[in-house]
Amino acid sequence: MDNSICQVYEDEIQSLEEEIKLLTEKYEESQQESTFFSDEEILMSIKSLQREFEGESKGHESPSDLKAQLESLEKDLSFLMKFTGIQFTSHSKKTVEKTRSRTVQKHRLSGNCHSLSFQLEFQLLEMQNKESVSAAITDLSIIMKSGEDSDMRKLVSSTEEHGNLLTFFRSLSSYAEWCEHRRCTFLHFK
Amino acid sequence: MEPGQGELSPAFPLAGECQEKVEEGKAYSPDGVFAYLEMLEARAHKAAVKQEETEQQEEKLARLKARVEELRLQRDELRAKVDLQQKRQLGKEGGVSNPAQPSARAVLEWKIKSIKAMLEVFYLTGISGKLTKRGVCFCISTAYEGTYLDSYHLDLLTKPEVQIYRHSVPIFIPLQQIAKKYLQTDIRRFLSVLSDHLNAYAGRRYQADQLQEHFSDQIEGTLQRNSLCNLLVFNYKVPSKSKTFPFNVRLLYGDLCCSLPTEVVISCTPNAPASLAETAAAHSDLFRRVALHKVFRSFSSAVGNVDGAP
Repeated sequence: MDNSICQVYEDEIQSLEEEIKLLTEKYEESQQESTFFSDEEILMSIKSLQREFEGESKGHESPSDLKAQLESLEKDLSFLMKFTGIQFTSHSKKTVEKTRSRTVQKHRLSGNCHSLSFQLEFQLLEMQNKESVSAAITDLSIIMKSGEDSDMRKLVSSTEEHGNLLTFFRSLSSYAEWCEHRRCTFLHFK
Repeated sequence: MEPGQGELSPAFPLAGECQEKVEEGKAYSPDGVFAYLEMLEARAHKAAVKQEETEQQEEKLARLKARVEELRLQRDELRAKVDLQQKRQLGKEGGVSNPAQPSARAVLEWKIKSIKAMLEVFYLTGISGKLTKRGVCFCISTAYEGTYLDSYHLDLLTKPEVQIYRHSVPIFIPLQQIAKKYLQTDIRRFLSVLSDHLNAYAGRRYQADQLQEHFSDQIEGTLQRNSLCNLLVFNYKVPSKSKTFPFNVRLLYGDLCCSLPTEVVISCTPNAPASLAETAAAHSDLFRRVALHKVFRSFSSAVGNVDGAP
């Protein structure tokens, strides 16, 4: 009899711990997404943290670790943007569903690829299988800001239909490069 | 021997009892007395152990109960925090001003999280990576119509010239050939061509896997395929009410950057009626234009139509 009471408590403990985890994630995500700090504020924070550190020494992650981590990540991001030609100007995500086996996040992404600007909205579904995590795009919607020609419109509608986000970016990339190349060639002949 | 009462009673009710026994005239031999003493000792020990167990159990219950209450409190506080956060966000527009000025550390942590999220998005574009001490490590992701499949890594060194240090590209993808052609002159092109190969391979494999997973009832025997998944041979039958004759199909994907076959050969069994030749021709066209698993999906949904008509 006692054992079953123990079990009831233990089950409740487990369910509370899970709920706390989900609530914490929800709070942190919402906090992250609704905040914005400009580059100046970032720089000021780096300086202020270094001053603080010189005053006293703290136990956990030193400011130089944070600064180093930030710089390394910024270098990676700027390299990728330069290399692929894809610049993201804004990104937001919101978890709309989260269970033990599946997570659905809604993303809003805007940016440009060379001169072509885009705005995307999609849902990313991640499912935990036995050994791995699988990801799939649903509800993809694409808005191209620049003057649309028929090729671009075809690409957009077929991409939206099948959720082909990866193909969209690769096609966009090579199309943009071609446009750029064409522009340079015309300039050359002016 | 006195039967034990089973209740917790004073641990050693021995001396008086023992004396009684002896005086009652039941002449216990010295051995008998010792045996009796041993029994009483054992009984007392058992009782002590049981009492300890009960106390431990009660302690455990109390601990668990306290923990439950602690967690409930924590959970309720979090719920209130989240509710307040949602209300604030609905009430205000534009940027949120925190009542408390965020610490410098919090600002940097925000930025770090924000950049990490953007780097994750690059994964969805097909090419992502990170800089390394001696070069770059690229990650090529593959997908088929919105479902992301395996990703492959390429660790490149950039000095003295661009070379591939390590990679996880399967051996049947012509990596060296592609590298020889483009790596030195145009890395972007190199990655783009490699990505085409990998995505096409992943797409072909995905179609074959889907076929085996969802339409195995229409396949007779095993589906034979090579590692590159550009040659598939199998027998299939179209679901229909009357007797069906299985078709044998050989799909060759001659273009390694394409996930549709370039060559389709369908044959029927020798005893099949001649009319099936028409069906075979229709199927052959279908296989060339439509993804493999979708072809079979259309067969399934066409049951009830004229035999064999797709």
